[in-house]
Amino acid sequence: MKLFVLFLFVAFLSVLLQTTLLHLLPLGPVVPDLTLVICVYWALSRPSVSTAIGAFFMGYTVDVFSSPILGVNAFALSLVFLSVHLSSRHIWIRSPLFTATLVFLASWVKVSAIVILWSIFLTTQNAWSGALRYIFLEALSVAFLAPVIFFLLSWAENRLAPLRNVS
Amino acid sequence: MIAFFRSHQVVFSSFFCLLVSVSIVGSVATGYLKRDPIGPLLLESMRPFQRALTSVANGVQDIQHGFRTLDSLWLENQQLKDQIQELHQEMEGLREAKATNFRLKSLLNVQGRGFRKAIAAAVIGNSASTWSRSLTINKGSDSGVRKGMAVVSAGGIVGQVLAVSSSSAKVLLLTDHNSGVDVIVQRTRARGIVSGSLEQDPVMKYITRNEEIHEGDRLVTSGLDGIFPKGLLVGQVSRVQKKNYGLFQDVGVQLAIDPSRIEEVLVVSAKYDSTKG
Repeated sequence: MKLFVLFLFVAFLSVLLQTTLLHLLPLGPVVPDLTLVICVYWALSRPSVSTAIGAFFMGYTVDVFSSPILGVNAFALSLVFLSVHLSSRHIWIRSPLFTATLVFLASWVKVSAIVILWSIFLTTQNAWSGALRYIFLEALSVAFLAPVIFFLLSWAENRLAPLRNVS
Repeated sequence: MIAFFRSHQVVFSSFFCLLVSVSIVGSVATGYLKRDPIGPLLLESMRPFQRALTSVANGVQDIQHGFRTLDSLWLENQQLKDQIQELHQEMEGLREAKATNFRLKSLLNVQGRGFRKAIAAAVIGNSASTWSRSLTINKGSDSGVRKGMAVVSAGGIVGQVLAVSSSSAKVLLLTDHNSGVDVIVQRTRARGIVSGSLEQDPVMKYITRNEEIHEGDRLVTSGLDGIFPKGLLVGQVSRVQKKNYGLFQDVGVQLAIDPSRIEEVLVVSAKYDSTKG
């Protein structure tokens, strides 16, 4: 239960930060997608039905705050969650570099999913060329942040784990 | 079957989420879903936190802006300092121009006295020898300067043209011991010759013992030497000494101008233009 509250809090905080403070970073229109990092973390470290639904809702929240059409980010994050979960079965190495690389690739998966949905449902003109302008920078920014966020999340989990055992 | 679902529940739930997402996107895109049931709730629940964080973000932005402003102020300060420096230089130039303008205006006043011929010239060089007092001007025969013409300035007479080339001329100054100008004492009309001296200030020669001359008497050109027009200020008596012997008095002269500080002169012909002045 405490872990669930933690995840809920983290998801809430990440969306909150994305819509406020992260815009202060000198990255132009690019905002590092913390929800993506959390989604990858969940898929990698805590794959479960609740985290899968959590990824979906996190994407949905992002849609509520930013997407012109509901469900796009929900789909993208669900796809990222599934992709990372399926590939994690064949991954045994865990290191900051690996984390960064995985999040970097996940970012490409997410943007690809979004662009595909845009192309199908919104008939967005030049969606790819527009996405390519910022995709690399966004992927790079989350790749840099990923090891730190992974560390913080795992530290928080470890802090809660003894409490969970006691209770 | 149930065990299979349980072992792959994450995958199935993910697929389920994907399907739900696509159906939401499709519903919204086709206009089937017109009202988002959860969105307003999320927006409303997030609003106070967003407001708080946005105010923090604005504060941070203000601080950033403050630093940027400080930076730009520093830059502006530097630019202003440079500008002040440039303006100082420009002001010096203007002061110089003003002084030149004043001198030239004075020269024009002299020119307005009605000389038959007056040529304005600038001093471009000084004497090359310790033993002579001369200067070089930037006008020569091409401009109408002729040997023997008088050279005057706004303050008084300077000397006379000694040699002329096509575009420059050498002027023998009144302070040179070889020069001489016929003068009269303005008050008493006593005549004499003012000449330069190697030893001391210029002197006034040939003033007889019975002439009443005092220190401070003004000396002007007599016009009788055929070089300097009549009535130009030469200087004033600085010293009078009557010796017990000899025919003449020993009279020292303080020139009206300091030839070493002259920058512009007027080369004039001795005769007045009758149509002017």
